[in-house]
Amino acid sequence: MQRRNLMKLGGAAAVLQCLPSLGFSQQGDVFRIGSLTPITGAGSPYGPGMQQAIRLAVDEVNAAGGAGGRKLELFTEDSQTKPDAAVLAAKKLIEVNRVQAVLGTWASGVSLAVLPLTEAAGIIEMNVSGAPAISTLDTKDLVWRFQATNDRFGAAFAEICAKRGFKRPATMAFNNASGLGNVEGFTRVWEKRGGKVAAHVTYEPSRPSYRSELQKILAAKPDVIVMGSYLPDTTIILREWFQSGAENKWVIPGWAANPDLVKALGPEVCEGIISVDTVSNEKSPSFANFDAAFTKATGKSAATNIYAAMAYDMVISLALAMEAAGAKATVEQVNAKIRDVSNAPGTAVHTFAEGKAQLARKAKVNYEGASSKLDFDKFGDATPDFGVYVIEKGQLVRRDVVSISV
Amino acid sequence: MLAYLCAIGIVALIYCLLALGLNLQFGLTRLVNFGVVAFFAVGAYTSGLLSLQGLPLPACFIAAGVLSGLLALPIGLLSLRLRDDYLAIVTLGFSEAVRITIQQESWLTHGVQGLPGLPKLFAAWGPGVSDTAIFAVLACIVGLVCWGTVRLTRSPFGRLLKAIGDDEAALSALGKDPARFKVQVFMLGAALAGVAGAFYAHFITFITPEQFIPLITFYVWMGLVMGGSGSVRGAMFGSLLLMVFLEGSRFAKDWVPGVSEVGMASLRLAAVGLALILVTLYRPNGLFGGPSK
Amino acid sequence: MTWIDFANLLINGLIEGLVVALPALAMTLVMGVNRFPNAATGDLMTTGAYAAVAVQLLGGVPLWLAAIASVAVTAVVSAGSYQLIFRKLAGRPMVASMLAAIGLGFLLRSLISFFAGHDQRTFEMPLVRAWNFGGIRILPTDLLIAAIAAACLAVVFVLIYRTSFGRQLRAVADSADLARASGIRAGGLMLCLWLLVGALSSIGGVLLGMKAIVTPEMGWESLIPAFAAMVLGGIGSPVGAVLGALVLCVVQELSVPLLGPSYKLVLSFVVLALVLLLRPAGIMGRVQLVR
Repeated sequence: MQRRNLMKLGGAAAVLQCLPSLGFSQQGDVFRIGSLTPITGAGSPYGPGMQQAIRLAVDEVNAAGGAGGRKLELFTEDSQTKPDAAVLAAKKLIEVNRVQAVLGTWASGVSLAVLPLTEAAGIIEMNVSGAPAISTLDTKDLVWRFQATNDRFGAAFAEICAKRGFKRPATMAFNNASGLGNVEGFTRVWEKRGGKVAAHVTYEPSRPSYRSELQKILAAKPDVIVMGSYLPDTTIILREWFQSGAENKWVIPGWAANPDLVKALGPEVCEGIISVDTVSNEKSPSFANFDAAFTKATGKSAATNIYAAMAYDMVISLALAMEAAGAKATVEQVNAKIRDVSNAPGTAVHTFAEGKAQLARKAKVNYEGASSKLDFDKFGDATPDFGVYVIEKGQLVRRDVVSISV
Repeated sequence: MLAYLCAIGIVALIYCLLALGLNLQFGLTRLVNFGVVAFFAVGAYTSGLLSLQGLPLPACFIAAGVLSGLLALPIGLLSLRLRDDYLAIVTLGFSEAVRITIQQESWLTHGVQGLPGLPKLFAAWGPGVSDTAIFAVLACIVGLVCWGTVRLTRSPFGRLLKAIGDDEAALSALGKDPARFKVQVFMLGAALAGVAGAFYAHFITFITPEQFIPLITFYVWMGLVMGGSGSVRGAMFGSLLLMVFLEGSRFAKDWVPGVSEVGMASLRLAAVGLALILVTLYRPNGLFGGPSK
Repeated sequence: MTWIDFANLLINGLIEGLVVALPALAMTLVMGVNRFPNAATGDLMTTGAYAAVAVQLLGGVPLWLAAIASVAVTAVVSAGSYQLIFRKLAGRPMVASMLAAIGLGFLLRSLISFFAGHDQRTFEMPLVRAWNFGGIRILPTDLLIAAIAAACLAVVFVLIYRTSFGRQLRAVADSADLARASGIRAGGLMLCLWLLVGALSSIGGVLLGMKAIVTPEMGWESLIPAFAAMVLGGIGSPVGAVLGALVLCVVQELSVPLLGPSYKLVLSFVVLALVLLLRPAGIMGRVQLVR
């Protein structure tokens, strides 16, 4: 029986060998990058854009003559936003394509499952996930995070609430790591400032109604409700809230309080909602440069997909580190230079070519990214700024930008 | 290349183990278990949690099997009182209840945050060798289970089981008690699913409740049905087919131009649904069995 | 918990119960006559909801018109599924029909998400505030939903208990052989039944979409509560299905202050298991063999 099974596997192996997309790459003057973004699954609104952004960056670097004397070669895979599928995809990238860096993992579950693989292989991993556990699992400092943690999102919510003078917040959390992480981050910071959270509810996904949950929250008479939520549940909750006639304000993450929410509920219901999300480093020339290229390639502005800018920055900072480490540098040596080229102090640079030129003059560079200033802390986390938008007459209007000191 | 295939092989063998467990439950004793993933989850979490407490891995695996088997006892007893369709519904509900309980009791299971950083089997031997070792161990276990199942089918116990599937009234008339055996088989099948769960947990090294959804149960059913239920060969062939299908769709995007990758995920589910319908209609004995039943 | 809270939870439960009653009824009809649990019922609900969304988008018509169109579409899909799939599986073990139903559900769901994507949709409906009776809140939309559900149920009961169609159906449910011996032609009867089942599921889906949102998973998620309601009420009993749905949903809502919102589904399951163990006939059912 065992032999039969092995034979069948061998047969399958032979078949798979003939398939086109298995690239055996050459050794030599090439640095191989694996893109593992969520093309399908829950992250699919962002994955294709991220993959495209990585491709744009790779093309930019190669057009400028490569980094550290090497051209970049890109292999793309779909993580399907699922840990088990992502593990197999990562295995393919690592074992078959022999990549030296895996970029673009989006869901925390995916990053957490892929981390052990990249660590064991001694290669670089760059992600946009929110789970704080990623920082603690990163024992070899090979992991770089380009998005704020769930926790820091919550902290930003607390800053915003304090700034706007709210006194009695209540919290509602979607029952998953991200929702709970947001709300726990908020509560921690709020209570450290001496405040109290009036009420809290953790609710289940995919229910047709949240009346009972909302009832419990409104009974505490909050002046603002802070959500760690997603679009479908936010739609239902807000509709039921409006119909109940309550008067409090809302602070909701930007992926839940977006134009689709307004489309579903109408401007009257959404009036005054405070929507918070990380913003790209919009004042910087890096962003302008990236936005132009992205819009040309996809027809959509980079503002529609903040993760795309982060993915772009992954390649650029990696390439600059390669350039700084010099020709024939090992992955470890490249990795050691990432903070060097991204953190202050240094000459600010905004494109790869600029950075390459500066490095040629032996200057210390500080790449100001398209997604954020890219100052990596000791965990390898860079925290972008937070944009505070208010929905006014059906439009999201930016009212403030908040930075979190880590 | 080999390492990649090794990884696929490991996942295939895990599904194989699940299918063999289901094969015991349904193929031999006609117990309709739509809650396979519950025992898979319990096995994964038991092993994962114990390993984080520092217990050596072999002990964790054994505990996973034992606990899943024990969990199957109440369901097994219930199955004696219930007709096929009711058992199916109850087991489906049970698997969701288990998943929600795992998700909610975060003091025990870390809830939605999941368990990251689980120790990998044979980790000390380095990545390449450890995967091969895992594959080898799994293959041995699968082989053992196959051998055991075949022996069981041919033994007096096994012939009794086959008879149960055919006519229970006659058996009770003969004074034989099918009940105890049915429950034992149910528990055995569940224990296998638990061990499969342990292997899964220590291969992916990160588990969350969201990974243990009913779709997994239906993947296993699909594999079993396509391979032909009631035979060990069928269970194994079905799981292999399942893996080729699941992983092959990764390469499909090169063959099916014009379909967005997002659409690919929908097409994958559509194919599972269509396969279930067509095989049930036209090939109830599995893809290589005859059409009559 | 004050009695106002209690009243609000009770009302929530009753409204949800009426919405769950429709798929529960659809399932109990199939269960009683064709003798298998039709797991595709949930996805038929989803089909109905999406059909209504599509008609609204393409035609710009008001919701009630879109709903009528969706009823027609879903009824056809349901009857088609019987003709092509379940009729052929009639003589086989029940597992076959169950698996095929699950497969059909997957197929419907994936086709919908392939063409419509995974983004949520909502119906074009005016939003109104609730009527507030000293803390007890009643939503006009909810009342509308309740009224429509009740009307459907009334129509179905009239059909089943007062027409020859219903009489023949009940005869076939009791014994297919006897029914055949007395000359009832099963073919056309079954088709009508499945058209009805499709219509009920579709209305259930539209009502659910009105209350919440429309996503490809919406029907699948209503499946277990609908199963539990059917079993609680007694399999094969239409009145039982409705009663079961109401009781189950009210109990679920009232349990929230005690158990929290996350365990609602677990409660459905526990109820299911207990009923099957202790009183398999359910509230209204005849003692049809559970074993």
